[in-house]
Amino acid sequence: MNKPFELPAELTIYGAVETRDAMLAWVAERSAQSGRTLEVSARAVTEMDGSGLQLLAALSNMDLSWRVVDASSAFTEACHTMGLAEWLESH
Amino acid sequence: MSYSSNDADQDFIAAAMPAFISEAVEQTEAIETLLLELEEQPDNRELLDSLFRCAHTVKGSAGIFGLNKVVEFTHHVETLLDQMREGAIEFGPALSTLLLQCNDQIKFLVATASDEAADTPEQKDIRADLVIQLCALTEGPTRGDAIASSDASANAEASTVSGSTRWTISARFGPETFRNGMDPLSIARYLAGMGQVVSMHSSIDAVPSLVNLEPETCYLSFRMELDSAASREEVEGAFSFVMDDCELNVIAPETPGQKLAREIEELPETPRLGDLLVSVGAVTQDRLEQVLSTQQQSRGMPATPKTLLGDLLETQAGVAPEVVEAALGKQQKLRETGSGEEGRYIRVQADRLDAVINLLGELVIAGAGATLLARETHDVGLIEANLHMNSLIEEIRNGTLGLRMVPVGETFSRFRRVVRDTAASLGKEVNFEIVGGEAELDKSMVEKIADPLMHLVRNSLDHGLESPQERLAAGKSASGKLILSARHETGCILIRIEDDGRGINRERVLQRAWNRGLVEQGVVPSDDAINMLIFEPGFSTAEQVTNLSGRGVGMDVVRRNIEALRGSLKLSSHPGQGLQVDIRLPLTLAIIDGFLVGVGKSKFVLPLESVVEVIEAGGQNVRVDATGRHCLELRGAVLPVVRLRTLYSVESSLPERVSVVVVSSPRGQYGIEVEVLLGQQQTVIKPLGRLFKTLRGISGSSILGSGEVALILDVGSLGELVTADNVGSTSVASVATA
Repeated sequence: MNKPFELPAELTIYGAVETRDAMLAWVAERSAQSGRTLEVSARAVTEMDGSGLQLLAALSNMDLSWRVVDASSAFTEACHTMGLAEWLESH
Repeated sequence: MSYSSNDADQDFIAAAMPAFISEAVEQTEAIETLLLELEEQPDNRELLDSLFRCAHTVKGSAGIFGLNKVVEFTHHVETLLDQMREGAIEFGPALSTLLLQCNDQIKFLVATASDEAADTPEQKDIRADLVIQLCALTEGPTRGDAIASSDASANAEASTVSGSTRWTISARFGPETFRNGMDPLSIARYLAGMGQVVSMHSSIDAVPSLVNLEPETCYLSFRMELDSAASREEVEGAFSFVMDDCELNVIAPETPGQKLAREIEELPETPRLGDLLVSVGAVTQDRLEQVLSTQQQSRGMPATPKTLLGDLLETQAGVAPEVVEAALGKQQKLRETGSGEEGRYIRVQADRLDAVINLLGELVIAGAGATLLARETHDVGLIEANLHMNSLIEEIRNGTLGLRMVPVGETFSRFRRVVRDTAASLGKEVNFEIVGGEAELDKSMVEKIADPLMHLVRNSLDHGLESPQERLAAGKSASGKLILSARHETGCILIRIEDDGRGINRERVLQRAWNRGLVEQGVVPSDDAINMLIFEPGFSTAEQVTNLSGRGVGMDVVRRNIEALRGSLKLSSHPGQGLQVDIRLPLTLAIIDGFLVGVGKSKFVLPLESVVEVIEAGGQNVRVDATGRHCLELRGAVLPVVRLRTLYSVESSLPERVSVVVVSSPRGQYGIEVEVLLGQQQTVIKPLGRLFKTLRGISGSSILGSGEVALILDVGSLGELVTADNVGSTSVASVATA
């Protein structure tokens, strides 16, 4: 039962509220189970903006460990552009 | 009072528009002056900075008034200037010409701001052409094709690395950024497209945890180091849509020296050079004291000139020259502004000032009247009170007249452009010098003298200075010299236009004067008189009539204008070596310090500054000619004297003893024989009516405190009368005064 959280294809301001709610629900569910590192899958992401990055930043600012798996090229580019490339390797 | 806010805005803009226009005109004039100065000192960073500031101010205030054409056009100029500041573009003559043309265009746009029709297709063409030239320069060869789109799509490829700077850009985006449809990520991408990103760091500390996050509110901020050839403006341009609620900080890289220089600049008042440098850590206190003691010692030695602390610090303490320079600059600025406060100005309408000066004139007259009455009472207290009041009035007078005084150099510097362009169009080389531009002159005089001066300057360029070939053939340097100078001279200002051209060809002038019937055929006047012929109406010697200086109209107008200002004109021509035109003008048109004298029942006023001394002389026994002229011996020299009684046919009996007031005039000293000396008096000049225009020797009239009218003697023209060979009987009319 260690399914990663699937980020939507459009990780933008238009779906920011829903994505955040879904992510929050998912975090609540997982962290209740164990203290293991949470995984966020970015393979579907084709479009991304600052608000999407901000969602992940908010996730980082929670007291838990997480990491990105399967980063798509759009996701990778966005992280590099904003100087947040460390998400791609660590966590 | 049911103004909608829009109406109120419109009203405000309409009311403020004239102020904007006059400010913009000043700025464009400043731009022109700065450009011309920059031509002489292309490396002067300060000039370049001021230039940029001027353009920026014009653009900024034009924006407030919604003058989009001005903003749009000036923006291109500003971009170019900015790149010059960054050293990406080098200043040269061609660039200067382009910028001058652009400045003309800005002037035009400002002047026609409220008149849409004035912007003709020709002007639009000129403007479009200038914009293309500007863009070609600012955007470099790689983007030549993108000129047509003047919008800010400045995603220049990292062009040549040579001109690139390392920008440190920190931005904190406002909470509404996303909701406004903006995206920090795309701004970062855009910036990255402008050059090489050296480092990029996003700060996510401000982002709340997912639980508290409002996903549509922006919490992001980043700090980017970017190597780019882009200007500061282009970098900041990336943020133009989020500017309103974004904290942006774009910092150009600094060398350690520049950093110190900036810190010095930011210091509060600390007027001593050493302290300045110590406080920013450029030199230690110990080291400073050592250097100071060295300076102290060297001061004792007579042979060595006084060493400057700045130099010592550079050589002995190893302080970088640029740091010392910044400190000295700061020190200078503090000295100039005194308490460190910026010089502030109030704009006053000229006619309000004139009204005050007129009233002041009346006050001077009233004051003189009061003093006269007070004297008659023999009441010491009253007389004293009056004297005090009069001295105050005099101070107010001086102060108020001082308000109208402006440095004549402002007008002079306008000529730089004229000289530059005129010389270029004539194919001549000219070194133009301005000397003594700080001499002050009444504002109304400055305005009125500008046109005649312009004419004389053009005349010198056109007729006086030779072409480079002719000059070399005559054994002179290829480039001519033209000097415009101003200085104060006893109560008047002397403006001199001097060139080292061919001077006046007297033979040709005389020949032409004969041909035109200005002088009777065969009559040869004196050299000076021949020179002055060029100021006669209907005279022109240029073989080629140019559109620059004249078709023979003009020089006579020049003389008329100057004489209308109570000024005088004098030519000294040295054939083959140059021409010197002297213009003497009174400092003000309104009030003079006068010396009141009486002849019979008539009163005359002499300008006090022209009076040298007063001597006594026997009256009746002296023989005078028809115009009252005779001579006196004064300390072994012959002094020509004019007897006012005879000159102006004053009727009364001649007293036993008379006084001779010795005055100095441009033609030398001479005496004026008068009968009563009435002392010093502030005199408000009232012009004489048209009827008396032809009257020579009198420049105006004044009303005395007693209500009497006194005539003001014009020392200059009276002197001509006295020293002239023969006096035309028509020129002197007889005057009967009250």
